[in-house]
Amino acid sequence: MKQLDYDVVVIGGGPAGMAAALKANEKGATVAIIERNDELGGILNQCIHSGFGLSYFKQELTGPEYAELFINRVKDSDIDVYLNTMVIDLAPDHRITAVNQDGMLVLAAGAIVLAMGCRERTRGAIKIPGSRPAGVLTAGLAQRYVNIENRKPGERIVILGSGDIGLIMARRLTLEGMQVLGVYELMPYANGLYRNIKNCLDDFDIPLHLSTTVTNIIGYPHLEAVEVAKVDENFAVIDETREVIACDTLLLSIGLIPENELSQNSGVSLNPRTNGPLVDEELATDQPGIFACGNVLHVHDLVDNVTLEAEQAGTAAAVYALEQKAAVSENRPAENKATITISPGENVGYTVPAKLTIPPQKPIRILFRVRTPLDQAAVVIHTGTEIFYQGKVQAYKPSVMEAVALHPEELNRLNESDEPITVSVREVKK
Amino acid sequence: MNYYDVIIIGGGITGTAIAHELSKYKLTVALLERGSDIGIGATKGNGGVVHPGYDPTPGSLKAKINVCGANRYPQLARDLNFGIINPGIFVIGFSDADEAMLKHKLEFGIKNGVKDLAIIDAGQMRNREPQLATTARHALYAPTATVVDPFEVAIAFAENAKANGVEILTSQPVTAIKKRTDGNFLLNTPDQQFTCTYIVNAAGNHADDVARLAGIAEYQMKPRHGDLLVLDKDMVNKPKTVMFPCPGPDTKGIACIPTVHGNTIVGSTATMLDDKEAVNNYAPGIQALIDGVHKILPELDAAKIIRTFAGLRPVVLDNNNDFYIAESPTVKGFIHAAGIQSPGVASAPAIAELVRDLLDNAGLEMVPKADYNPYREKLTVFTELSLAEQDALINEHPAYGRIVCRCETVTEGEIIAAIHGAIPAHTLDAIKRRTRAGMGRCQGGFCQYKVIAILARELGLSADAICLEDAGSQLLCGAVKGGAK
Repeated sequence: MKQLDYDVVVIGGGPAGMAAALKANEKGATVAIIERNDELGGILNQCIHSGFGLSYFKQELTGPEYAELFINRVKDSDIDVYLNTMVIDLAPDHRITAVNQDGMLVLAAGAIVLAMGCRERTRGAIKIPGSRPAGVLTAGLAQRYVNIENRKPGERIVILGSGDIGLIMARRLTLEGMQVLGVYELMPYANGLYRNIKNCLDDFDIPLHLSTTVTNIIGYPHLEAVEVAKVDENFAVIDETREVIACDTLLLSIGLIPENELSQNSGVSLNPRTNGPLVDEELATDQPGIFACGNVLHVHDLVDNVTLEAEQAGTAAAVYALEQKAAVSENRPAENKATITISPGENVGYTVPAKLTIPPQKPIRILFRVRTPLDQAAVVIHTGTEIFYQGKVQAYKPSVMEAVALHPEELNRLNESDEPITVSVREVKK
Repeated sequence: MNYYDVIIIGGGITGTAIAHELSKYKLTVALLERGSDIGIGATKGNGGVVHPGYDPTPGSLKAKINVCGANRYPQLARDLNFGIINPGIFVIGFSDADEAMLKHKLEFGIKNGVKDLAIIDAGQMRNREPQLATTARHALYAPTATVVDPFEVAIAFAENAKANGVEILTSQPVTAIKKRTDGNFLLNTPDQQFTCTYIVNAAGNHADDVARLAGIAEYQMKPRHGDLLVLDKDMVNKPKTVMFPCPGPDTKGIACIPTVHGNTIVGSTATMLDDKEAVNNYAPGIQALIDGVHKILPELDAAKIIRTFAGLRPVVLDNNNDFYIAESPTVKGFIHAAGIQSPGVASAPAIAELVRDLLDNAGLEMVPKADYNPYREKLTVFTELSLAEQDALINEHPAYGRIVCRCETVTEGEIIAAIHGAIPAHTLDAIKRRTRAGMGRCQGGFCQYKVIAILARELGLSADAICLEDAGSQLLCGAVKGGAK
């Protein structure tokens, strides 16, 4: 059994993990990345379409290209990378138990960055009735089959859900000669980015059916058809609109869930609104020295935003680990920080961070998403009735992650006993 | 031609229990299963409760068999190395009428010989289950009740039977049965012929169809369908006890069931159907499950549902809802083990003993084997090992250091062992049942392609040939353009 010791251990070698590790390393920490797959890059490796890097690198890259830029930086650094290595336990005292084909590893870490990403919601989560045949799979798995394994999941495809992976796969499968019959979305609006609706569906004449869902899965042992139907404003199926569509494959693109089973092992509390850890402005969880970033924290729209967030987490983790080391050697007591809650208000689904250390020392960014599309609305940040930030009037979509930057001077009158900071997006009538 | 003393038709928990029982005797026995694996009919569409036996009407066949079968489980679990837990059962009453019903059940249970039954009050219930609905007033408590994983039990029975000489043949649907002039039966499957002196019909929902092949029309069957759902292991405030509401006439009601592997199952609805293949989920059924379990556990989080599934209980019509276990009066040597609805899992070991006795009475000489081995080794389960054991195992077999299923922590070593196991696993679902790869919260989203690749490599097949379960359930259909490899 191997015993290892690092200032910072990053769990997950996707875009979040690599960016966090690089920043932590840059700050002078000894760093390890533990990656369960056989290469770094995470899900970017199967995202062979372009559209990555526009904001971070100011150029349009494919997923593997974006990943490669970071992989090369990691290779050029003295970060230790453990591939094909799976963390099976994470204790609150930062002891990490991992496994690979050389045996069991036990790692001690000054700080930990959680960067395990997310998983796709499955058929079971939305309880689609019908038979249970081959031919029903998540869009991400289909992407793996087509882009990496070079195999086709089927010939006639129906896609349920208008998440970005589903939209990307509609185009991808069409280019590979499969027939994509349509994308069906329960909500009255698309869940994916506007540019993906445009580039992946409209340009290929693939119909998008809003307020429509799959109501039955038909065929056994292989999928033969699905029944679809329109729903009313309460999501109740409208019987007379039921229609059977012959197909051999149903792809599901119905949402992503941060993968926090390991985080929970270590005692990290989750935010029920994101299914990710509850973090402060440093992306610190409520377990000392454990930080989170990327899709394990909340599901992002663009990888560029993941990178920025991860750099922040990596920096914070390195600072924490190095300060703790110094504090131990100087016998300094740990300082107790006061925090105030940040909570989502009107029309807002969640915020990251969900708490703020006061008094704030540096500018903070609050990320959030709206729950429904709003044509004309403005973000308002307030405690009780006291408004201290008001944004411009603009359109909001749930598919887009929004950010507001606040300066310490805007926040320094806050104190611990205050009501939570509330982030609302208020509709503005013309 | 392949001659056997006894051929068992059907490889569910009933058929495999019978195979296990008969393997103790100097007999030649084969089991023919129509599906690609054993335990994939009613056995896999099941909540896994080993009902202790307070339900059946005293004096019925079910009553005799249920208690005896349930009592066999703890020892069987030790000998055959399958998982078992002892959560006990609450049958919960919400009203005075329910209390009368519970007392009635208590009386049944005592008459049937169930041990340690008691009526308990709300306080006693809440001590064990703090999340219980405040409307719950009293319960019949059956502390001896156990829960197993029914397909694991069927696999364990089959593997032990095989080790003791029984032939276990899958993908062998019986298509014709003839009684020859020499008194023996001739059986056909699409690619083989068998002869035997005795047939045991354990064909589940198809027992009447199999009987008809032999010219027997003693009974008709219909399936009683049930929807079920599975909740994530990481659910907070998981129930520790199997909890049923007071039962209805045809069903024990919607229960929550802690499983051997730490999930919670909610099941089952009960609807008579005509279609014996309709193992579908129905939207009203799923809703009924959620509503039903909320009557017991109002706070249960439906967002923790990771899968829905369904099962068909084989019901012999006009038979007082009882099992039908007897030698055919018209075709000698043809034994029915039919209509094995609930409590089929609990009853299986005792059904096997009854079938043994029926064969004995029918003239089959039962001589115990001196070299019978009652024990079965199970496949290595990586997560059950200590850190040092895991490390040592990986040093010897590096495949145990490669995690394939992240949700359930299943290694490549375990999957390879299952593929080459005593009853080999050649499909994705067969691997899932034996190793739990794909059983977790991502439902195979991350590991399915890896399991397919391992199956293809180990079996020398193309990935395109790998099936989910039954023939025709291939998961992939050829190379992408320019991707041929």
